[in-house]
Amino acid sequence: MSGNILEVAGVTKVFGGLTAVNDVTMNIPERSIVSVIGPNGAGKTTFFNMITGIYEPTRGTIRLAGRELVGLRPDQVTEAGIARTFQNIRLFSTMTSEENIMVGRHSRLKSGFLDAVLRTKKFHDGEQEARDAARIMLDFVGLGKWRSELATNLPYGDQRKLEIARALATTPKLILLDEPAAGMNPRETEDLKALIRRVRDELGVTVCLIEHDMRLVMTLSEHITVLDYGTKIAEGKPHQVRNDPRVMEAYLGRGAAAGDYGKEERPHA
Amino acid sequence: MELSTLLPFLANVIVGGLVLGFVYAIIALGYTMVYGVLQLINFAHSEVFVTGAVVGFEVFRVLAPVSMNGYLKLLIALLAAMTISGLLNVIIERLAYRPLRGAPKLVPLITAIGVSLILQDVLRVIEGFQGRFDLTYTLPTGFAAPFCGPESSCVGFGKFLTGIGVSLQLKDVILIVVSLLSLAVLNYIVNRTRMGKAIRAVAQDRVTAGLMGIDGNRMISATFLIGGALGGISGVLFGMKFGTVNAYSGFIPGVTAFTAAVLGGIGSIPGAVLGGLLLGVLEKLIGVSNVFGELLGIKNLAVIDDSYSKLGAFIALVLILIFKPTGLLGKSNVEKV
Amino acid sequence: MTAALQQKPRASAPDRTILLVLFFIVTSAFLLVSHNGDLLGQMGPVGTALKNPIVEALMVSLFLANILFAYLWKAAPWARALVSVGSLLFVLPAAGREDTSLLDLSIQIMIFAALALGLNIVVGLAGLLDLGYVAFFAVGAYTWGIVGSPRFAEILKYFGENPGGTNSGTLAIGLVLTAVTAASMLYISRLTARTAPTAATTWSFRLASVGVVAGVILTVRALLVLLAPQADGLANGLNAGFFWLFLALSIFAAAAVGVLIGLPVLKLKGDYLAIITLGLGEVIRVLANNLDLYSAGSQGITPIKSASVPWFDAAAGALGFAPDQYYLLFLYALVLVMIGLILTVNVRLDRSRIGRAWIAIRDDEVAAQAMGVPLMQTKLIAFATGASFAGVMGMIFAAKQQFISPESFVLNQSIAILSMVILGGMGSFPGVILGAAVVTLLNLRILPGLGEATANISWIPQQANPGQLQRLIFGAILVAMMLLRPEGLLPNRRRQLELHHDDNQEDESAQGNAGALGTASGDVYSAGYAPAKEDDKAGGSR
Repeated sequence: MSGNILEVAGVTKVFGGLTAVNDVTMNIPERSIVSVIGPNGAGKTTFFNMITGIYEPTRGTIRLAGRELVGLRPDQVTEAGIARTFQNIRLFSTMTSEENIMVGRHSRLKSGFLDAVLRTKKFHDGEQEARDAARIMLDFVGLGKWRSELATNLPYGDQRKLEIARALATTPKLILLDEPAAGMNPRETEDLKALIRRVRDELGVTVCLIEHDMRLVMTLSEHITVLDYGTKIAEGKPHQVRNDPRVMEAYLGRGAAAGDYGKEERPHA
Repeated sequence: MELSTLLPFLANVIVGGLVLGFVYAIIALGYTMVYGVLQLINFAHSEVFVTGAVVGFEVFRVLAPVSMNGYLKLLIALLAAMTISGLLNVIIERLAYRPLRGAPKLVPLITAIGVSLILQDVLRVIEGFQGRFDLTYTLPTGFAAPFCGPESSCVGFGKFLTGIGVSLQLKDVILIVVSLLSLAVLNYIVNRTRMGKAIRAVAQDRVTAGLMGIDGNRMISATFLIGGALGGISGVLFGMKFGTVNAYSGFIPGVTAFTAAVLGGIGSIPGAVLGGLLLGVLEKLIGVSNVFGELLGIKNLAVIDDSYSKLGAFIALVLILIFKPTGLLGKSNVEKV
Repeated sequence: MTAALQQKPRASAPDRTILLVLFFIVTSAFLLVSHNGDLLGQMGPVGTALKNPIVEALMVSLFLANILFAYLWKAAPWARALVSVGSLLFVLPAAGREDTSLLDLSIQIMIFAALALGLNIVVGLAGLLDLGYVAFFAVGAYTWGIVGSPRFAEILKYFGENPGGTNSGTLAIGLVLTAVTAASMLYISRLTARTAPTAATTWSFRLASVGVVAGVILTVRALLVLLAPQADGLANGLNAGFFWLFLALSIFAAAAVGVLIGLPVLKLKGDYLAIITLGLGEVIRVLANNLDLYSAGSQGITPIKSASVPWFDAAAGALGFAPDQYYLLFLYALVLVMIGLILTVNVRLDRSRIGRAWIAIRDDEVAAQAMGVPLMQTKLIAFATGASFAGVMGMIFAAKQQFISPESFVLNQSIAILSMVILGGMGSFPGVILGAAVVTLLNLRILPGLGEATANISWIPQQANPGQLQRLIFGAILVAMMLLRPEGLLPNRRRQLELHHDDNQEDESAQGNAGALGTASGDVYSAGYAPAKEDDKAGGSR
């Protein structure tokens, strides 16, 4: 079906005897913002890791704009157009903010070993392009002033934004954000929400996030998929998911399903 | 070679390999236990083990003129080697590795290589001041005699071995017995005592173990103590088996034993033993590849002499790490992203 | 040009131009005097004192410190240029003319500096701990050692007697096989660059790589057999004119061996990689010891030729060098040019897409790959680049020593090179050059000097002679640096500063004078400054 940027069909991942993700199907429409939620250990990050090529699915297919991704290495997936951030921030600690983003341009630059050694025009053009991209991305996420600062010296919230900027520098079609709001205070979370909207509206990048902050998920997402024990238990628009008894049961346990789950900000934190 | 001579020949090779394998196994335990708690290849372990060998040499040398039961001398040598090697290992950890807890992985690894080099020269100089480099063991009388020789009466297992044409020396049998006893004691400590449980907890997850009230640093010290003591035992056994050691002897058996630990699955105690035994046999088999060459009619195999048999371990290591990095008995360890 | 772009070490640092020039003059004078045998002879007891190996080592060290100070101190650009160019191009050769061993030592230092620079790419930039690095050095050394010595004729004779059915047809088959399999490897890797590999592509790639190796072996074998009739004419090895061809060849041979070794082992993580490269280094040594036909085993190969460059010899003769020193002076000049090239390549790679990818992998492998950095390919480039530096230096080493044996390629050499990198500072080009100079001086001058000085002391038996304490020294360097100053003596200050210049001038600094060791790099040391997270630089995966 056209209109979907990513089509995941029947994806399963088995580790030893443990089925971490079981037969999950999910479509992400182009230029949308969608979320994957679920209690801890529901298989969300494993799901992301399969999409980005870190794990190969035991079964199932993953297509980006019609192109099969299963079996590709993570760097090839990135080149194909999926970028990601990490649950625990993974910036390059000895690099500046600018250099971090320049690494993000790696797959888009074509200058090779000899270009670098001989300092060809291709090399200079590539470096200029990468620096420009870094400047644009830093300004986009509002970190222009940190350009020459070591990435690890940035405040926590800004490190998360820098990770997003670095991912965006790969010019993705789809960006996967793994708990982008974790550890942020409500104000930073509001900023982040605005930033995610701008990623979609201004850059035209489709966004898929894993998040535990229910207020963020409910107000930002157009579509939500709920995983529990590796299985998809519900999906739909935020209000549909919010009122789904299976979802409440997954989060709060059997018998608590009658409670008003939607008001709970971090039901299991 | 005739079949009638080939079978005893092979039996000898395999039994000899197993004897060697026990030495590797006990050394490998030191690597695998430390790796279990710190995820560090303790390069210095090969020198901890050589230290044990040197202590054993000194004990046998000093006690040589004393008329005393040979087994008692061996016991003293083993206890002294265990104590000194164990303490040395604890001191190494305390001074060189502990300050680097939490540093990037490369940093303690390089430190470990450095400690190993320092110890090599320290050992050499200590013995060098007495004008010695190669240390030749003076074993108690009878240790080098054939086990179950024609003049001694054979019973049970010994009779069986002699029956299939295997000739062992008494010291080989002692080696196996000491190894098995060490394994039994280690097994008891690790699986049956509170300390063993605590060590296993730290190996699995140091942070959580800390939250449960286990002092991680103490348990790491305990691990180094046990690993070092095993290193001491293996040093004495190594010295007994080969007769001569020097300060630089640790490298090859060290790498072989590390390979044994990886082959069995690093962090796994039964794995280290299995790996050690397999590599011991493998080494002996490579050492006699000229015989196989003769059997199979491949002349070129005769080129493979003893210097290659040491390489067997390295090649095994490459193959294991490429095809089954978790080893034979190891658990798969997926990096968390 | 270079100096103008240098950052000022510290705004408040005093200008030391005069001090620098004075130091240069004094140490040069001492060096020249202490290496002039005639002069020393006339100086009586002072001359004897100056001849003492430890005093001599001190002289050399102080003299070499010139170049370091020219790099570190705040001084007028002309003074820095004068000191570095003057030291390397005038004073050292002049002193070396009187005392050949000094020239030998300088070449040795630069060979090790190049090796350290190569290992620095692998360990310092890409974060891959390679303990078998000296294997690539051996590849370069044996490549020329075999063909540039009588060994070549021996090998040809052997193949002449044992052609084993090889003829010109074999050559054709070998060449075709190599070409076809290499092409299919390229084709397959291009095919899988964008699509997932299947069992078919994986196995055909492996098959093809075996085919390449077989093809190369067949080709070489056929060539040897076909050349066999020439054996008598090559009794002293190939013509020295082939030196240049093999200089290029040694680069590629070492890089190819780097890729061959790297393909299987670079999939492994940090500590496993360390132990496996340690093993492979050992494999190379055992092979060199046992393949008697090619390597002459433990007795080694000798004599090995150097290049012959008539105009250079003429120039050296005019400058008063003895004919038996020509080749040393030539190699000194060659190694100076080489290290300039290597340094330039290093600096340029460091500040490029590939350099960033290396550092990204060192900092965080998973994140680097998620940003589109192909791990295997990037690591292989690091391995091959580092290997090629070692290869070319191995060849120069063979030509300088005129003799090679497996003893030159043992684990301890790898460790020595590692300790140079660690001492100077992983990732810092001036640092590793300094490390190479210090460790080489310790190893070749100070320790033997100590050994000689204590040889006749009765309470120090020969077995405990301090002249043999290399391991202790290397070990102490490794441990002390890791515990106390993991960033090294001259830390690489991450390229923060020059990143402020948005112009394209930055690469100008890379084109510095080939001889001006430190100043060719743009990395600047300022006393007392070490980045907060410096020790993270060592990080592989975590």
